[in-house]
Amino acid sequence: MTDTLLTVHGLNTGYGAVQVLFDVAFGVRAGTVTTLVGANGAGKSTIMKTLAGLVAPRAGSLLYDGREIVGLASHERVDAGLCLIPEGRLVFPGMTVEQNLRLGAVSPKARSGHEEMLAEVYRRFPRLQERRRQLAGLMSGGEQQMLALGRGLMARPRLILMDEPTLGLAPVMVKQVFEIIRELRDAGFTILLAEQNARVALELADHAYLLENGRVGLSGTGQDLLEAPEVRRAYLGM
Amino acid sequence: MDTLLSGQLLFAALVSGSLYALIALGLNLVYGTLRLLNIAHGDLVMIGAYTAFWLFTLLSIPPVVSFFVAAALCALLGWAVYEGMFRRLLANPGLAKRVEANSLILFYGISVILQNLTALAFTSSSRGYQYLDTVITWQGVSMTGNRLLSLGVAGGICIAALLFLRFHLFGWELRAVIQRREAAQIVGVNLNRVQPIIICAGFAIAGIAGVLVSMTEQITPFMGFPFTIIAFVVIIIGGLGNIGAGVLAGLSLGLIETYGVALTSPGYRSILIYGLFVAVLLIRPEGIFTKAVRS
Repeated sequence: MTDTLLTVHGLNTGYGAVQVLFDVAFGVRAGTVTTLVGANGAGKSTIMKTLAGLVAPRAGSLLYDGREIVGLASHERVDAGLCLIPEGRLVFPGMTVEQNLRLGAVSPKARSGHEEMLAEVYRRFPRLQERRRQLAGLMSGGEQQMLALGRGLMARPRLILMDEPTLGLAPVMVKQVFEIIRELRDAGFTILLAEQNARVALELADHAYLLENGRVGLSGTGQDLLEAPEVRRAYLGM
Repeated sequence: MDTLLSGQLLFAALVSGSLYALIALGLNLVYGTLRLLNIAHGDLVMIGAYTAFWLFTLLSIPPVVSFFVAAALCALLGWAVYEGMFRRLLANPGLAKRVEANSLILFYGISVILQNLTALAFTSSSRGYQYLDTVITWQGVSMTGNRLLSLGVAGGICIAALLFLRFHLFGWELRAVIQRREAAQIVGVNLNRVQPIIICAGFAIAGIAGVLVSMTEQITPFMGFPFTIIAFVVIIIGGLGNIGAGVLAGLSLGLIETYGVALTSPGYRSILIYGLFVAVLLIRPEGIFTKAVRS
C-alpha cells in the first residue's frame, strides 16, 4: 500500500442527466505505467478530467499521495504534482513553442528552476528546440503531441495523466510516443494512460484496467488483459 | 484634397482611433477571459466621465488625478459584479456554459440601472467643463491640450497592455485563458486569480476612457451606449478575444471614420461604421486581423 500514489474509490461522475462513471475504483502504483483501456465512450476521458479537476465527481474519493484531492481546484492539483496531457493535445495555438513550454511551469512550485526543466525538455525533444519560435498552431499533430508532453513535464509532475496521446497520429509517431512513455517511466515518473490503441498500451502496462460502460470490468497486469478472452475479442480483433 | 493630406485630419483620426482602441481593449479583455458580453461597458465610460466632471467642478481636481479615482471606482464596481454574480456561476461548469449568452441580458440590466441611477442623481441635462482647451499649433497642426492628453493616455495604455501581454508571464497566462480556457486550467493557471483581476482591469480601463471623453464631450447619463456599440464593432472587426487585433481595429475605425466623413459628410458617419461592421461580418466573420492557426 505504501507505494500507491493514487487511489480512486467509488467514483461516480456525469454530465447533466447522464451518468458516465459508476463506482469506479482503481489504483496507480508509484513508478509504474497503469493503463485504462476501453471503447470510445467507456469513460476513460471522464476519469482523466475528473482527476485533473475539470469535472466534479458526484461521489467518491480521489486519494493522491495519501491526501484527498476532490475539493482541490485544477491549479492546486498541478501544484501537488498531478499533470494532465489532454486528449486533442490542447496546445495554445497562437503562442510559440517556447511560450507554451514556459506556461507549463506557471504553478508556483514549478516556477523556480524552470530554466533547467526547459533545457531538459529540449534535450528530450530536440524537435521542440528547433521549432521554439514557431507558433504551436502551425505544427503537425505529432509535434503538437510532443509539445503537450513537454508542457506537462515543465510542471515537474509526479503523476502524468495521458489521455489518448496517440489519437490521430501517424504510425511512426505512435511508436515514438510509446517509446517516450517507456523512457519517462524509466526516469521515475508515474503514468496513468488512457488509450484506445489497446494492444501496444497493454504491452507497455505494468497494470491495466478494462473500462466498460463506465464500470471497471477487468483488472490485472498488462499481460493478463492481453490474454483475457473478452479483451482479445472486443479490442484486439481476435 | 488639401484637407485630406493635412496633419490636422490625421491628428483628429488618431485621437478618436486611440480612444476607440482603449474602450474596446477593456471590453475585449473581459470577453476574452471571462466570456462575458458586457453591454454596460459604455456606461462605465459614463461613470468615468461623471467622476472627472464632479471632481473638477466641485473640488477643482484635474482629470490627470481623476484617472486614478475613476479607475479605482470602476474596478471596485467590477469586483462587486464578479464577487456578487459571476464567481459562483463561472465555477460551475454546467452554468458557465450558459453564462455567456445570459451575460448579455444581465449586463443590459446593469446598464439600465446605472443609467437611471445617474439620471436620478444628477438629472439628465448635459454637462461639461473646460480643461486644457487652449490651442497649441505645431508644424501647422492645431491641437488642444486635452486632445493631446487623450491621445497620449489612450495610446500609452494600449501600448503598455500589448507589451504586457507579450512579455510578462501574467500576460501569457491571460492569453492562455483566452485561447484555451480548459488547457490553461490544465497547466495550472489560477482562474480564481486571473478572472477578478481582468474584470477589474477591463472596467478600470473604461473608467479612464470616460475621463478622457469628459474633457472634450458633453456628459449625460445616456452617453455610454454609443461607446458600447463602437467597442463591439471594434472587437468584432478585430476578432473577439484577440487583444492586439482589437487595438489595431480601433485605430483603423478612427481613421476610416474621420477620413470617410471628410470625404463625404458627417451624415454618413453611422453608415460608414455599420457598413464596415456588416462588410466584415459578411466577408471575414472571424475578424480581419485574425491569423489562421490550426487548433
